[in-house]
Amino acid sequence: MNQPVENLTHTLGTVELRIPCKAEWVAVARLAAAAVANRLNFSIEDIEDVKLAVAEACTNCIQHAGGQQIQIVCETEPDALTVHVRDFGRGTRPEAIASRDDEPRLGVFLIRSLMDSVEYDAHPEGGTTLVMTKKVSG
Amino acid sequence: MQQHTDEERWDRRKTRETFARFARAKKRPGDPEYERLRSELVVAHLNLVRYLAVKFANRGESLDDLIQVGTVGLLKAIDRFDLDRGVEFTTYATPTIVGEIKRYFRDKGWAVKVPRRLQELNLAVNRTIEKLSVKLGRSPTVGELAQTLNASEEDILEAQELGQAYNLLSLDTELSGEGDKKSQTLQDYIGTTDADLALLEDKANLERAFEVLTGRERVILYLRFYESVSQTEIAKRLNVSQMHVSRLQQKALEKLRHVLQE
Repeated sequence: MNQPVENLTHTLGTVELRIPCKAEWVAVARLAAAAVANRLNFSIEDIEDVKLAVAEACTNCIQHAGGQQIQIVCETEPDALTVHVRDFGRGTRPEAIASRDDEPRLGVFLIRSLMDSVEYDAHPEGGTTLVMTKKVSG
Repeated sequence: MQQHTDEERWDRRKTRETFARFARAKKRPGDPEYERLRSELVVAHLNLVRYLAVKFANRGESLDDLIQVGTVGLLKAIDRFDLDRGVEFTTYATPTIVGEIKRYFRDKGWAVKVPRRLQELNLAVNRTIEKLSVKLGRSPTVGELAQTLNASEEDILEAQELGQAYNLLSLDTELSGEGDKKSQTLQDYIGTTDADLALLEDKANLERAFEVLTGRERVILYLRFYESVSQTEIAKRLNVSQMHVSRLQQKALEKLRHVLQE
């Protein structure tokens, strides 16, 4: 049931989204990521994993970075989806979060166990971008 | 509540110490300390299991079940964890616990049920939009649809957006990737009414009905519907007029209809 190769041009592209840095808006990012992931040949399970990872990344921004907005960029490649989640606050790098509890680190562990690769980019002007990629399995 | 605060007091240092003692006890067969430390480690990390299980709770399985399978993952992680590798236990345990939870969904054939559920919800949403529009005299909101259908707003939106489109897995996708065990495929889970079987029945009925036709009528129907030959062409082959073929075809079909209706 693989998508024919000629359809790939319809699935390659970039979707950008900015949501307010508030919990009520996370569902919008989840749905957008799911809709993009669905354009690739992702299985249900993989789409759910992407949704969960995006939600975790946004939640980390809301709980630990602050700032006004969160930027979500979904980039599709023929065999993978890369999602960038950027905060405009204090950043979400685990080592940058001075916190006694394990929550933010757990969020990242969870993302790592759902996605194929996870990286951080720190911005000199403030905030971090979490870059996570999931390959289409199969 | 008491237990909760106890767990919070489990810091990374204490975890490492306990694992060191646990590793030593493992080397002394029959040491009761081994089981005691093992349960201590399990209890200390139940919060982690719970935290992770909650994240998967919206996928339609009960939280209790997820915590249970997650705990199995925790046990595996505790038994396999090696302090010398220098990673923290939570780092090591998270993928193991998540893996166990995800395997549980796979074993339940969850990936097959979800698109079906979304497609059903998609149909239900469309029906409900009609009903509510009539009742309210205006187009309903997503919130009203969610309430009527007892689903979350995100579910409604997702069903509308993805209900028709969700990619189904290939039927040959292996569901459990557990090493040497022979994996089951989706095909193994699926039972449907066999369309070919119904077709076979139709075919048997039709064959009986054909017996009432004359030889010429049978030839005409055969050429017309099985070979898709035009009436003009049939007329040429049978050396009769096209009008005659048309009449014979008409008559033959009426005969068949009559027999099949009995």
